[in-house]
Parts: sequence; C-alpha cells; structure tokens
Amino acid sequence: MRPVLAIALKDLRQRLRDRSAWVIVFLAPVVITALMSMAFSGTAAFHAKVAVVDLDHGTAAAGLLQTLRSPQLADTVSVRSYPATEEAAQAVRHGPEQAGIVIPAGFTAAVAGGRPEPVTVLSSVDYPLQAQLANAVATSFVAQVNADRLSVATALTAGALPADLPRLSAQAAELRLPVQARPADASGYALKGVSYFGPSMGMFFVLFTIGFAARGYFSEQRQGTLDRIAAAPLGRGTVLLGKSLATFAYSLAGLATTLTAAHFVFGARYADPLGVAALCVGMSVAVVCLTTLVIVVSRTERQAEQLSSVVVFALVLLGGNFVFASAGPAALRRLALFTPNGWALRGFTDLGTGVSGLAAVRDPLLGIAACSAVVALVAAVLFRLRRTP
Amino acid sequence: MATPQAAQTIRPQQDAEPLLDCSKLVRRFGSRTAVDGVSLDVAPGETYGLLGPNGAGKTTTIKIVCGLLEADSGTVRVAGLPVRAAPGPAKRLIGYVPQEVALYPDLTVRENLLFFGRLYRLPRRRLERRVEEVLELIDLTARGEDRVDSLSGGMRRRLNIGAGLVHSPTLLVLDEPTVGVDPQSRHAIMESVRRFGDQGMAVIYTTHYMEEAERLCDRVGIIDHGSLIAEGTPRELVALVAEKDQVQLVASGDLTRYAEACRALPEVEGADVDRSDEGTVHAVVRDARSLLPRLLDLAHANRVQIRSVEIVEPDLEAVFLHLTGTALRE
Amino acid sequence: MRILAVTRATVVRIARDRGALFFMVLLPVAIIVVIGVTVRGFDQFRVGVVAAADAGPVTRDLVTTLTDDPALRTHVYPDQSTARTALRRSETDAVVVVPATLDRQAAGPGTVTLPILVAPSATNAQAAVAAVESAVADHAGRVQAARFTVAETGGAFDSRLGLAARTAAATPSVSVTQRTVNGQSSYLPLGYSYSTPTMLVLFVFINAVSNGASIVQNRQSGVYSRALAAPVGAGTLVLGETLAYLSLALVQSALIVSVGALAFGVSWGAPAAALALVGVWALVGTGAGLLAGALFRTPEQVHSIGPAVGITLGMLGGCMWPLAIVPAWLRAAGHVVPQSWAVDSWTELLSRHGGLHAVLGYLVILTAYAAGLLLLATLALRRRLASVG
Repeated sequence: MRPVLAIALKDLRQRLRDRSAWVIVFLAPVVITALMSMAFSGTAAFHAKVAVVDLDHGTAAAGLLQTLRSPQLADTVSVRSYPATEEAAQAVRHGPEQAGIVIPAGFTAAVAGGRPEPVTVLSSVDYPLQAQLANAVATSFVAQVNADRLSVATALTAGALPADLPRLSAQAAELRLPVQARPADASGYALKGVSYFGPSMGMFFVLFTIGFAARGYFSEQRQGTLDRIAAAPLGRGTVLLGKSLATFAYSLAGLATTLTAAHFVFGARYADPLGVAALCVGMSVAVVCLTTLVIVVSRTERQAEQLSSVVVFALVLLGGNFVFASAGPAALRRLALFTPNGWALRGFTDLGTGVSGLAAVRDPLLGIAACSAVVALVAAVLFRLRRTP
Repeated sequence: MATPQAAQTIRPQQDAEPLLDCSKLVRRFGSRTAVDGVSLDVAPGETYGLLGPNGAGKTTTIKIVCGLLEADSGTVRVAGLPVRAAPGPAKRLIGYVPQEVALYPDLTVRENLLFFGRLYRLPRRRLERRVEEVLELIDLTARGEDRVDSLSGGMRRRLNIGAGLVHSPTLLVLDEPTVGVDPQSRHAIMESVRRFGDQGMAVIYTTHYMEEAERLCDRVGIIDHGSLIAEGTPRELVALVAEKDQVQLVASGDLTRYAEACRALPEVEGADVDRSDEGTVHAVVRDARSLLPRLLDLAHANRVQIRSVEIVEPDLEAVFLHLTGTALRE
Repeated sequence: MRILAVTRATVVRIARDRGALFFMVLLPVAIIVVIGVTVRGFDQFRVGVVAAADAGPVTRDLVTTLTDDPALRTHVYPDQSTARTALRRSETDAVVVVPATLDRQAAGPGTVTLPILVAPSATNAQAAVAAVESAVADHAGRVQAARFTVAETGGAFDSRLGLAARTAAATPSVSVTQRTVNGQSSYLPLGYSYSTPTMLVLFVFINAVSNGASIVQNRQSGVYSRALAAPVGAGTLVLGETLAYLSLALVQSALIVSVGALAFGVSWGAPAAALALVGVWALVGTGAGLLAGALFRTPEQVHSIGPAVGITLGMLGGCMWPLAIVPAWLRAAGHVVPQSWAVDSWTELLSRHGGLHAVLGYLVILTAYAAGLLLLATLALRRRLASVG
C-alpha cells in the first residue's frame, strides 16, 4: 500500500505546485459559478409590467381590470393605467412598461351582442413572455364573452328560433365556462440556476484535468522517471493505482470546492448532501477512467493533450454543461445520457429540485458507473492490443 | 565527496557466485534484433563495463536486466533470483540509474530521494537516515530543499545516481551516466563509481567512452549489433591486438630505402612511407621499446634525419577498431 | 520580407497541427449547433399534457386546442409521473392533467376542474398558467355552447360539440390583436443567429490566446534568440507574429461566418459593417494572443489558463447569455471586456439591421482595445526578447 500512496502523494504534490492547476480546478469554476449566479440573479422572478388603457369605461372593462389585479396574479403582474393608447405604447417602447392592454370603446356593448371590437395587446420584442402573458389574460377574459356569443350562435344553427334570440342571449349571459383550469403545485422546489451551473462548471474544469494527468504521464515517460518507478519492486497495478488515486483525489477536491462554494456562497440548494457527495465521487471515478483511456490511446504528450481536449469538449457539449439541458430538445437530453457528466447533471437537477436519497442518485450513479465501465473496458482492451504487437 | 563508513576495499571475487548472471538474452523489436544472445555475469564487487556504439543494444540489455523489458528468451538472475519469475526480490537488489536525468524537476532534491526510497518500502526511519547518507555521498546535503530544476547539470547527474542508491542496492546499473556531462562532473561521477566497486557493490556500467571503461572497469564486454563480441579485463582485451605496436618516425632523407631496410629486420612486420604531410615512416613492430635503438641506428646508417618518434600502444579504441572495423566515436 | 518569413513559419506550424483544426472550426461549429438548438422557443411557454390515450372527442378537442395554440409549445406525456418529473426538471413550464372523466363530465351538469401542475415558486409559473387558461377557455367556450345547444334544442352532446366547433369558425368573436410597439431588439435573434455570432466572438478570442503558446515555445526553444542573432530586429519578429495571428484569426472568422451563412442560414447584416467588425475583432484576438505569448512562462500554462480566461471574459461580455438579462451593474462591468462591444455590434447588425454608421462607435472602441492590447504585447515581447538576447 505504501508505494501506491507514495505515487499518489507525489503526483498530488506536483499538481499542487503547478499554479495553473490551481487556477483550473479551484479558481476558475468558482469564479464562473459566481458570474453565473450573479447573471441569473436578476432573472430570478418572472415579472410583467403591464400598461392598461381603458377606453370603454364600462362594466366589462372593469371586469378585465379586476382580473389583472386579482390576488392570483399579484406577484406576477404590476398594472398601471394610462389614459391613451399612444401614451401606453410610448411607455412600452421606452420603459418602464413591458406590455400593454388596450380595452376598446364599446367593449361592454359587444357582450350584449354589438359588433365586437378587438382588444389590443401592446408588445415589445424584448419581452415576448410578458406580451404572451398580457395576451393570455386578455384572451381569458374575452373568452367568456366569446363563449356566450358562440352558445347563442350554435343554438341558432342547431335550429333554435331566431325569435328567441333575446331570451337565448340573456340565458347565455348567465353561463360560466364549464371547464376551469386550476393551478396546483407539484412536489419539490424550483431549480435554481446556480444549483445546475455550479456543478456543471465544476465538472467541466475537472474534466479539463484529464489533459493534465495524461500529459503528466507522458512527461514522466519522457524524463525517464516512469522507467525508474518500473525498476522498483512494485506490482503491475501499483503505478496505475497510485496515479489513479491522485487523479481521483484531485478531481474530488475540485468538485467539492466548487459545490461547497456554490452552496454556501452562491446559494445553490440540494435536497441531500450525501447524494451530492455520491455524485462527486462517481464523477471523479469517471474522470479516472477517462484519463486512463486517453493515456492508453495516445502515444505522445501532444496527442494526449489534443485527444483529451476533444474528449472533454465532446462530453461537456453532449452532457449539457454549456447549456441548460432541460431547456433543450428531448433528443439532446437523451444524448446527454451517453455521458457520465450528463448523468451527474441529471442527478444534480433532481437533487436541486427536492428529490433526495436513492431516488435522486441511483440512476445517475448507475449511469456514471456504466459509462466508466465502458471506458475502462475499452482502455483495457486497447492496452492488451497494444502490448501484443 | 565524503567517505562512506566502512570503506573497506573489496576486490572483485571472480570465482565467487556471480551477483548478476545473464544467459543468452534475446530481444527483438519487430524484425530488428536489438539483443542477440548476450550472456554475461558480474561478480560481487566487480565493475563491469558494457562498451559499444549507440544502438548496439546496451540500453536494451540494461532494461532487461532491470526487469523493464522482457527478454524474448534467455534468463537474468540477480543473486540467484530470476528477475522474470520473482521480480520483487530481484529488483530490490538492483539500483537503476537511467541514461536521462530521471528526476522530478518540480520536486526538491530530498523529495525526489524520499519518493524513490518509498517505492522500495523502506521503513520510515531507515529511509530518512539513508536519504541523509546519500545526500552526503553525492555532496548535495546543502541543496536538499532546493527544487531539482534549480540545480546545475552536474548536480542533477549526481542526484540521478543518488536516487538509485537510496535503497542500498547490491547491484548498481548505470546506463551512460556521463553522457553530456562536463569534464569536472564526469570525473566526480567516475570517482564515485570506482568507490561503489570498492565498497563491494557490483556495478554494471554502459558507456561509449573508451577511456572511462579502461579506467573504471574490472572487466569490459564489447557489444555491437546486439552481440557481445569480446569480453575480458581491459588488459586482456588490449592483448588481443597487443603484440603489435606502431612506430611513427617523422624523418627526411631517402625514406623509401629506409623503410626497406626496416622491413629487413625480423621484428618488423611492416613498414611504409606516408608522404602526405611531412615524410613519415609507419612501422608495425613487435615490442617497439626494445627495437627502437636499432631503428635509430638504421636511420643513421641510411643518412636519414629523424625529427620525431612516436610509439602508439594499443588501447580499447584500437581493440574496437580491430574487432568491428569501425571507429567508436563518430 | 523577413517579416513574412516569420509570419509564414508561425502559420505553417500552427496549421500543421491537426488539433488546431479541431479548435479552429469543429469545436466552434459543434457548440454553435448545440446552443443554436437549445436557445430557441423562448417566446413560447412549454406545456406538458397528460391525457388518456383512448379518450373521447372532448379530450381530443382539448388536446388539439392546446397543441395548436401559438403561445404554447406542447408535449404530450404518457403518464402523470413522467410529466411531473419533467416539470420538476424544468423540462416543461406547466403540465395540464386532463381528467379521465372529462368526456363524461363535459356534457354537464357542473364544472370540470382541470388541474395545471406548476413547479412551486417557478419563476414563470403564473404566466404559463395564464397562457394555458386562455387556451382552455377557448375549448371551454365550445363545451359551453354544446351544452347550451343540447339544453335548447336537444341532440347528442358530441355532435353538438362538433357543431359548436364549426360555428365558432364562422362566428365573429371579440379578438385580441397584438401590436408590436418596439421592433428594436436588444437581443440577438434566437437559434443559430444567436449562437453563431456569439461563438464567433468567443472562439476567435480563445483560439488566438491559445495560439500564444507557439510564441512561448519559440521563446523557450531559443528560436527567437537565433532569429535575433540573424540581422532581424525584435520589431520585425513582433510584426511577423502579429501578421501570422491576424491571418489565422481571419481565416477562422471566415470559416465560422461561412458555415453560419451556408449551413445555419445566419444573415450577417450589412456586409461592410460585418466585414469591418470581423477584421477589428480578429485584431483584438491577435493582440490578446501576442500578449498571452509574452506573459505566460510555459506553453502548458497558455493551453490550460487561456481557455478559462477566454470563457470567463466571454461570459462577462455576453457571449453565453444576453447582457440585457443581467443586473445593471454586471452589465456595466461586462463592458470592461471587449467581447461585450463585439456582441453589441452584432446585435446592432443582426437584430436592428443597422449599417456601418450604426456600429461605428463600437468599432472605434474595439479598435482602441486592439491597439492597446497590441501595444502592451509589443512592449512585453520586446522586453522578453531583449532579455533573451
């Protein structure tokens, strides 16, 4: 055991003596996590500032205003009244408003059967969702009006007597939409940006260290120290084990640093610290396997460096470290599950939305283990092939 | 360098059980046979020089001895232990000093020594004591806490050897330890190698410097194209070509007639005139020293003015030339 | 023509490196694709629907209404637990759970409640609910009309529902119209038009910095000392390297611009302005690359720290997300790095269709950055070279 530790400690000592290693594994992910948490803190709450212009001054218009100011929307929408359409449009164009609703004159009259005038939603291209929201509120409101008009029209088409129109209209006006949507909270809590991008950046930079480790191996080969180690009475696996241990410890330290900072400084939230630790350990094992593969496949330092760059970028692109995987198309999410980091990020997503224990980490850990096993297997096969020319 | 304790002088025990015993080593790389049936043995306390040009198979042989390469056939035993079958115990006896400076430039001198010592599972106390001894031996005690990349080339070379000594090996394997080393450090290195031999350590030493092998080694093996083509003490090897000396006489006068007269002597095997530079007569003779007065008399008799005389005695260089037909250093 | 000799040597060395091709073109294009497919559809709410597969016409009508609504991007989930998981992972903004009894209850009497699951405290939950409510109201209007007609004229509910749908198509209703009051976006267009210009800015810079490694290598290996021993001044060397880096950056830009235009249909705006911008940005990259070559001690440092610095600056400068979404102070801080001005310029060109005059101010600022970086790099290199000589 002692030579294994000696090799691991020696490797770690060398890594930590290299200032760029510190930058890559400890500083960069924390800095970038900080940047991300700051960048997304401004978008933490969706909010719409809506200008309202009431040109109708009737009861129907009052109903719409009431809907906008309902307690249900109070957290989401702030409403301000403007006297004229152009003033509201101006406020949407140059701020402070993000969208507007103009209730036309004669809106109330339309309910009673008059010629319908459209409700206008003022939108800005920079606030498409706010415009959608204003549009949705206006549409919901006019929906009852339209439903009543449709009820009468359908009845007439179905054979009701036109003479009955006043009675039909009066009856229809009493109706309420028979299908009502009712929001309900799902379980868990919302995923914070930093809960996702903290580990995502930590993994990105830890994967970066594959290049360090692989290059380190080849520079040892070049400077002859590897031969010197091989001349010592060590078992076959000792060197591999020692070096892997160093890579593992180093990766784990990098991930732990990033996640600790993400949690304590930037407010990342996870349901289960043990789950987080398990994912970090799993990911570090994957890094060890990937490093071994790069070393086995490469023949020179330069090759190792390039190969590891290609591997790392392919993994982080597929795995969703650069983009929020959940926002992407389903195909991208499926591709992510071919990478260990994609699995880990899924685990962090689940942990970040209130799932704890095995339910959150079992599948990701199995996924990471499967990816690692495949990588290790390929490395072992290639190693055998290379040894027997 | 400091004197190690118990520096008793042990001369090679040629008849004792050999410490290193290589038998019929063969190693191929693809279609090229790098080592082709090399057998050699080194006795305790003996310094063995493996001499040959670059690419002759020296390093491959060394790597097989140290267990870094497997031989396609043949066996290596260290103190009777087969390196291949029982690598652990055998390797423990070997101190390997690679050709390049195989050290970690970003670690300190002491950290390097401690690291290589730990690989041999030395108990902590003993390891620390040994590191101090080695530091003293290679005269780097004062630089123990300095990083290797801050050392001079000669210091690195010394440390390179030191790192192979931490676990007190009984067989020290040095692969071209003096390549690219300044004369002063080279001297120091050779000095310490000589002392390892004196301490009873068997040393196997590859080089392509003749004078080093001649000065240091109790026995020399000449390797070329993967085969050991001659082996013996430097004296024995020189003796292969040694009955003949070469005499060069720079002279003026009728040199052709003089050379003819020389050839008439029974001890002279050949004499020739070289007019390329000044007039020079080359003569290959047996026992030049006793013959010289008669050569001078003969010159006088032929009215030839001798301006200088040089007797060239054979050395390993000449042996090599004789055996392989090529010069060693090119 | 000694300058060109230096240029040629550097260009050939870097171009001969197969890994360079990966970083110059393949990696940027891969990232453009991944970000391009992810950054789209931000103008729609993502809604999941769970409905029984063998449901009747009412359910089908509701699902179709939701799927066809332009404000919604609808995904049908096979069961509730899958939908809930997707919701928790933010793969969807809301989930409409259609009760199995909808078809039975639709005929009345009584109100059907349609639960809409949202993630608790999700930022845009209320807005998504409002959007779903408006789509549901559309459907509910037809159900109401069908019930009303059954009550008034008899007949089967399902056929009356079909009639209501047909009538709805023919009956004028109170509509909601949208009026865009601000077409001047402060964001880049979505999709590839977003990812391509930002990644152009990001990668030209990162690549130039990484290429700085070759200068460090030259310094280490003594190539410069040898050149200086020949009658070549330090100025010639610096100028030659500058030309080399500039041409590499231009080639890379040209490749990314063409791939963007040909493969992803990016329209790069006014040609003169786009050309000037590409050129100036290549100069900024060149300055950064030379500076990296002058400041770093080993090529490994450049390879490992360079990308980290490039990514961080890219994030600050709005390459990873629009600066318009970050807090004001961070936006201001972001404008310390040149990337922000380049992204602003592209936004001006691509989203507002401005010409050369519109980006002239930005170009001046970027030129100043380029000049500053080149000056610093030249001074630093001259000092290094002097100490080498």
